Amino acid sequence: MKTIPRPGPADSTPAARSFEQIFLEHWDAIYRLLVRMTGDPAEAEDLALETFFRLHRHPPQEGEGYNPGGWLYRVATNLGLRSIRSFKRREQYELRAGKDVLEAAPENRPAVLFEKKEQDWLAHQALAKMNSRRAELLVLRNSGMAYKDIAEALGLSPASIGPLLLRAEREFEKVYRALDQKEEA
Amino acid sequence: MKKHLNDGDLRAALDGELDETGLHHLESCPVCQERQNLIRAQVQQAARRLSFLSAPAGPTGPAAQIALTHFNQRIKNRKDISMFRKLFASPLVQAGLVIVLILVGVLSVPSTRALAGKFLNLFRVQQVVVVPVDFTGMQQLTGNQTLGKQVSDLISSSITTQQKPGNPVTAADAASASQQAGFNVRVPQGMMPARISVEGAAAFTIKVDATKAQALLNESGRSDLVLPSSINGADVSVNIPASVTVSFGTCPDPVAQDSAKSLNGNGSAGRQYPDCVILAELPTPTVSAPPELNIAQLAQIGLEFTGMTSDQAAAFTQTVDWTSTLVIPLPKNAATYQQVTVDGVTGTLIQRPADDAPQYALLWVKNGIIYAISSLGTNSQQALQMANSLP
Repeated sequence: MKTIPRPGPADSTPAARSFEQIFLEHWDAIYRLLVRMTGDPAEAEDLALETFFRLHRHPPQEGEGYNPGGWLYRVATNLGLRSIRSFKRREQYELRAGKDVLEAAPENRPAVLFEKKEQDWLAHQALAKMNSRRAELLVLRNSGMAYKDIAEALGLSPASIGPLLLRAEREFEKVYRALDQKEEA
Repeated sequence: MKKHLNDGDLRAALDGELDETGLHHLESCPVCQERQNLIRAQVQQAARRLSFLSAPAGPTGPAAQIALTHFNQRIKNRKDISMFRKLFASPLVQAGLVIVLILVGVLSVPSTRALAGKFLNLFRVQQVVVVPVDFTGMQQLTGNQTLGKQVSDLISSSITTQQKPGNPVTAADAASASQQAGFNVRVPQGMMPARISVEGAAAFTIKVDATKAQALLNESGRSDLVLPSSINGADVSVNIPASVTVSFGTCPDPVAQDSAKSLNGNGSAGRQYPDCVILAELPTPTVSAPPELNIAQLAQIGLEFTGMTSDQAAAFTQTVDWTSTLVIPLPKNAATYQQVTVDGVTGTLIQRPADDAPQYALLWVKNGIIYAISSLGTNSQQALQMANSLP
């Protein structure tokens, strides 16, 4: 059993390069996932750095099924969901998601963009309220991960992903509709 | 194959993740196809709602190489801060305070010195100075458990507590806090505190065994630092008056371990408590020590021990009036500081880098009271405005 070697800052040893390689290989994907989840580039960078910090501090043991990419995706998804749960007020979300950009949209588009933002807000809230494990599954799948990679990241069998995904989508839809009705009321 | 596919298999088929046998059945089974159409509608609905997760990323983030630089900086900052916390949060805290007070010293007001008699030097804080310290040199001490225990033992055997501060007590308002603390508590005008706490006074004496202290220095690899013989058996008395903290906004519990943990582990305490601001007011502690105790010499040893060269420590020591100055050791890479005009006097503004759990602290001394405004947020201007609005 081996572990991901920990580098020191500005370290150029082979061990340090190994961590750096993982960082350089996965940074972009992890950052983009978090930008999409939170809608806030600054928050996304903070959470992405935190994701790699956790890998640096408590690297997963290398062995059968060792997959640092999947591990990073899972940690990032958890941190992203936790961040979404902290969006206590709509104003806060809109601020993070770039309300100023929305308001600066061409005259014929604000209504469409506003509606889309409303839907995105509800979807974020639904993810925050539903079962964490199923929310993780939805985020990973809808970010484009294949079943095999999701299974590795979450420690599941590939054959179980289809049924679990369907269950997650049903729960998501139920929570989303409840939130939507509450908003309309 | 006669057995129909289950919903999970039908769902997987929509993502092209069903095995060949299953696909073969689906192609020839109208019942499964009809069920799959229903599932497809649900899946597409959810996918539409979650389309922000697959949208092309908007603003471009930092390139991986630049992010790696940020990452390394964050690691270094956390190491420095962690070292800082270890140093001042272990049994060394009490000693830390004591050492600071000893090394730091503080000057006597002539009339009070007369009261103390000719055998004692009495020190009072009149100003605050920051000294950047490279705490990596302390790792050997704090990372070595045996040595750490010896330090703790030396400290606990050297200190005799005369008065414990007890638990903080909540005060209803500034007037009540003033009455309990025994000095005029100032609250910024136009601001409503979330909590006002009064911490009781504390007093203790220190009697250092120079032989044991020198042995510890030797064991930590610093036999080049020689403690003056005047320290041996010298009685140093420290009196810390009652103090007051005034909190604004949502603040972490100052006693809970979580606040330190969140700063160390989760990195985003600044985001969790962005509106928390704490104003602390502490009448200057007094330290009385035998006149033969050379504070500047002890300070120089302390500075060298924390990583300064002998020349650097000597140069710094000469710039400080050790009898009237509170010296705050600050991790070199974890924070910046500057002098500012505040509350009609010169104060010090300490700030941590804004990209990692931003924090600031504004310190100044006025009319015998040490003031500190600190926050996990980034708006240090707010601290200056608060300080300047004190009645």
